[in-house]
Amino acid sequence: MAQNENIIAHAGIRFFGSISASATHEIKNNLAIINESAGLLKDLSLMAEKKGHPLSLERINDISERMIRQVQRADLVLKKMSRFSHSVDQAMEITDLEKTIIFVLDLASRLVERQGAVLEIISPVAPMLVSTNLFFLENMIWRAIETACCAADNEKGVKISFGTNVSEPLIWFTMNRVKKEIMDDIFRSKEDLALISYLNISIEKNNKNTGFGLLWPKCI
Amino acid sequence: MSEKVLLVDDEKEFLEIMSERMQARGMVVTTAESADQALSIIGKESFDAIVMDFQMPGMDGMEALKAIKNKKPELQIILLTGYATIEKTVEAMKIGATDFLEKPADLEALAKKIKEAKAEKMLIVEKQTEEKIKEILQRYGG
Repeated sequence: MAQNENIIAHAGIRFFGSISASATHEIKNNLAIINESAGLLKDLSLMAEKKGHPLSLERINDISERMIRQVQRADLVLKKMSRFSHSVDQAMEITDLEKTIIFVLDLASRLVERQGAVLEIISPVAPMLVSTNLFFLENMIWRAIETACCAADNEKGVKISFGTNVSEPLIWFTMNRVKKEIMDDIFRSKEDLALISYLNISIEKNNKNTGFGLLWPKCI
Repeated sequence: MSEKVLLVDDEKEFLEIMSERMQARGMVVTTAESADQALSIIGKESFDAIVMDFQMPGMDGMEALKAIKNKKPELQIILLTGYATIEKTVEAMKIGATDFLEKPADLEALAKKIKEAKAEKMLIVEKQTEEKIKEILQRYGG
């Protein structure tokens, strides 16, 4: 048990690290644009002062709007990171599965983009709630997204849908086409197994072996 | 003579503003929004330096670096990155990156690195030309 907790803790730190690194990269990009915009304003004022180039008010307005837009983008990333950081606040809480998936996808959008996958979420008829540890649920969802993207072949289309029956998986990840060798070996790592056991869930593959689902023993 | 630079970044706004500032400093700048696009451009045009973001969607920075070096070994690549670890830097330099700059980068420092990259490329091209001439002389000159 203690060994499992150790593995989960390591997995959690790695997950937190990769999300933070991705957010940092996004903010650095925003800062780079703000930095160059400020530099451009300086260039324009120097050109006006030294060479008598007229300063266009429209141009200055465009540049300031660009800077404001980048500050807003960076602020949004920080808000998401702040929400993510608070995921560890409570050991157990009632969580909406769809909202958590949307949040994880939004948080890791840059990482998903790098996987080259196209994800589509099909909303459940009614909210699906589970009582769980939010941070490790987010971690498990991210591992499932990564697994699905990795197993998806060619067009990399991944559909995320929700089960309607308590005896079936609550979250389904279905791929248009799969790499069979990856599908045959999913969720076998120590970290996956420890997380699955900690969250008290099980993994089920669909009949065609083109997807997998996360099954909770009970839904609220 | 002005430096011919290919600027590669997935942030369109960064490309627009950075290329404008570089052009104001006399550089001739072409932009690409992905490593794939950059690879296609370098197949058709020649550049003194490539300034490339290390983390882009699609082809990863390390893969892109390898692919570019494979296609045009003489090309000088300056990597821009949001977060650079020492390991990644060392790995990229081993593959053939000329230099590294962390974002947000100082344009004057970047311009200096581009000038240095151009000089380095000229040396490599001169050496390649010399070797070709030697080879031709050996083959036909007796």
